[in-house]
Amino acid sequence: MKPPAEMTCDEVVELVTAYLEGALPPQERDRFEAHRQGCSGCETYVSQVRLTVSALGQLQPSAGEDLSAEQGRILELFRTRGLHRREKRNRDIPLGLGNERAALGDHIVYFWESEREFDATASFLAAGVSLGEACVLIGHDAAHERLLASLERRGLSVRALMQERQLQVASVRLSADGLLLELDERIKDAVHRGMPTVRILGNLNWGRGTPGWPSDREILRLEAQVTRVAERLPSIVVCVYDVTNLPGPMLVKGGLECHPLTFRRDCLRHNEHHVAPERFLEEL
Amino acid sequence: MERPAQVQPAVSLEESTLLDALRRGDEDAFARLVGEHHATLRRVARLYVANASTADEVVQDTWLGVIQGIWAFEGRSSLKTWIFRILVNRARTRAVRESRSAPFSGTLSTESAAEPGVSVSSEHSLFRDDSTAHGLWTRPPLDPGSSPERSLLTKELRERLRTVIDALPSNLRIVLWLRDVEGWSSDEVCNALAIQETNQRVLLHRARSRVRAALEPYLEGAGGGARQR
Repeated sequence: MKPPAEMTCDEVVELVTAYLEGALPPQERDRFEAHRQGCSGCETYVSQVRLTVSALGQLQPSAGEDLSAEQGRILELFRTRGLHRREKRNRDIPLGLGNERAALGDHIVYFWESEREFDATASFLAAGVSLGEACVLIGHDAAHERLLASLERRGLSVRALMQERQLQVASVRLSADGLLLELDERIKDAVHRGMPTVRILGNLNWGRGTPGWPSDREILRLEAQVTRVAERLPSIVVCVYDVTNLPGPMLVKGGLECHPLTFRRDCLRHNEHHVAPERFLEEL
Repeated sequence: MERPAQVQPAVSLEESTLLDALRRGDEDAFARLVGEHHATLRRVARLYVANASTADEVVQDTWLGVIQGIWAFEGRSSLKTWIFRILVNRARTRAVRESRSAPFSGTLSTESAAEPGVSVSSEHSLFRDDSTAHGLWTRPPLDPGSSPERSLLTKELRERLRTVIDALPSNLRIVLWLRDVEGWSSDEVCNALAIQETNQRVLLHRARSRVRAALEPYLEGAGGGARQR
């Protein structure tokens, strides 16, 4: 068998980082070292790269600036903005709906009648995308198709957003517990990847009555519990309710009694009809 | 340059105690965390956004993300990696908003980093066809062996380095900075930037090659006085 050809100076220059990283396979490493030993130019080159790395390592300044004032401001944020707090939260996140602002933990019902009102929910997602947040859709495929088309019309690349997992479609599970687990997992995944906030847009009522779809009762059990989940996780949840086609009990129990906030006629409002989730579940 | 063995779980016992404390709202624990990472966060933020006060806002947003995400963080990475992922997200979003062009994207192909005068090809000018005593080097890079490392970083050299680093495309700059200035392992860099190891190595290689080329006059001068300074 022919011995492998000797490494050239060009190759040494190309491979120097892989060599220094210990990433060359043994045979390549041997060829690299053999060349180095016989070529003073390359030997010097490798030494120069090492010296460069060592010079860079000495660049970091040893503690200089006094950061105590700034760190004080950050501690103040911890005191006033942490999700461990029970107090009311600042509404300072652009909701993308009307000119309203939301707070983390908001669980909002969005009532729609016209097509235009439905399409406007895509703005909730677009606002999140522009803030570097993650968006999760959960619901019927037909609803998602319209929302994604609406995002494309706004100049956003749905494909790129999905590739970066900044936009995700959650799977519809049959039980409330399964649905909660799915949402919990999506939120945690986004947070793990450094997203500051997760927007969830629910269109679970769209598929009512179709096979393999959660029952009204499971959707109500989910809606009640989402309120508490959203309070602990960095999320904003908007649930879309079709005023024209949903039966009265779903609109009242699901829409009004499970959401602390409503969005209608371009206004976000506190909802006096909201029932504490624990009581709602007990009486369901 | 050895890579650390990956035997430890992402979150140590100590770290999970810290996470519990943060979730309870323990201010001392949070203050210690801020003390540990704040200066590095500021340095890294400035690699993305030039303006110092904007960089400070990015860092503040990062801490807010930590404060608000702490319940959802499950230790799938180390706390440090997670904090820097938030920083990278915040800094990129900010940079996009301000310049309308992404300075660094995780999906950026290594090719798109190519620009005129890319490092490796510029090395080729050092070679010529006929063989000499120094292999194929036309002008052998002088032996830096006589230049002790401790005397390497003069004020002039430090400034030169800063200038070269500032001139790098931001994806090269961030990888070089985290690896060689901050001293992170390649795993830490890959995790924080969500890039593949091979991609990381290509970016690091290009960045180091450029910096080496820019330092060459100093390395030569120190080596044998071939050049009067």
